[in-house]
Amino acid sequence: MSLIPWRSKQRENEQAQSPLVAFRREMDRLFENFFREPLWGLQWPFSETGQWMPAVDVAENDREVTVRAEVPGIEPKDLNVSVSGNQLVISGEKKQTEERTGKDYYHSEIRFGSFRRIIPLPEGVDTENVEAEYANGVLTLRLKKSATAAPRRIEVKTKG
Amino acid sequence: MTRHTNLAKTAAETPPAERTRSGRCYRPNVDIIELADELLVVADVPGASSEQIDVKFEDGQLTIHAHVPERQPEDTEYLLREYGVGDYYRTFEVSEAVDSDKISAEYADGVLTLHLPKAEASKPRKIAVKT
Repeated sequence: MSLIPWRSKQRENEQAQSPLVAFRREMDRLFENFFREPLWGLQWPFSETGQWMPAVDVAENDREVTVRAEVPGIEPKDLNVSVSGNQLVISGEKKQTEERTGKDYYHSEIRFGSFRRIIPLPEGVDTENVEAEYANGVLTLRLKKSATAAPRRIEVKTKG
Repeated sequence: MTRHTNLAKTAAETPPAERTRSGRCYRPNVDIIELADELLVVADVPGASSEQIDVKFEDGQLTIHAHVPERQPEDTEYLLREYGVGDYYRTFEVSEAVDSDKISAEYADGVLTLHLPKAEASKPRKIAVKT
């Protein structure tokens, strides 16, 4: 695990623009994911680069898979949701408002920055059929299961 | 740094007395920012709607209590669960440097912002230096 020293938010922004830093970050992420693969290949809420990650829950029933992410302070237009293969990708950016950057903080617990989460989907999800909804800082995605994946009851016939 | 560290968080996570619903109570993450004429308290309370947020000021204590309804039925089968759903509760001590009558709150996209205007007496004043 890498220990990255704390940087001010402004400095972080400057650095984020440098392609080298972006590349390194991507490499770090790849390494981390490799080691986490046994644990579903998931990224944890706080990545090693000190970036913020929204917390997610994934629920499943017979008809659909529901993914909910807590993304307070992110406008729906700053959220991107895509599905590729059996992976759901949620990315976005939590922006600090202009008027508050560089001000005196008494207390700072809220984290800002861009994030990207990859969530593996269970088998049988119809990736064409995704509903996304945002309300009060919670993003809800509903992924219908394809008809073939729905459990079918098989009659057991008695003979004679 | 700044002069008045009047807005300190309370350590205890006491749930409100009138609480009747079972379940957990969460302490929202908060930023406290000082601007020229007010203090801002920004709290992340995803899942609460504006009519379910209770902001109270009493005896020098500012209380945020946001009711959050369940998002999934109880028997939901989770494949992954990284957060719990429950009410948010947090109290702050507010000093006299804040004009408590004029505290206002707004809510958008899961973020509650409280404006605590500074009392006239504690606003920064520029004193002209005469020659």
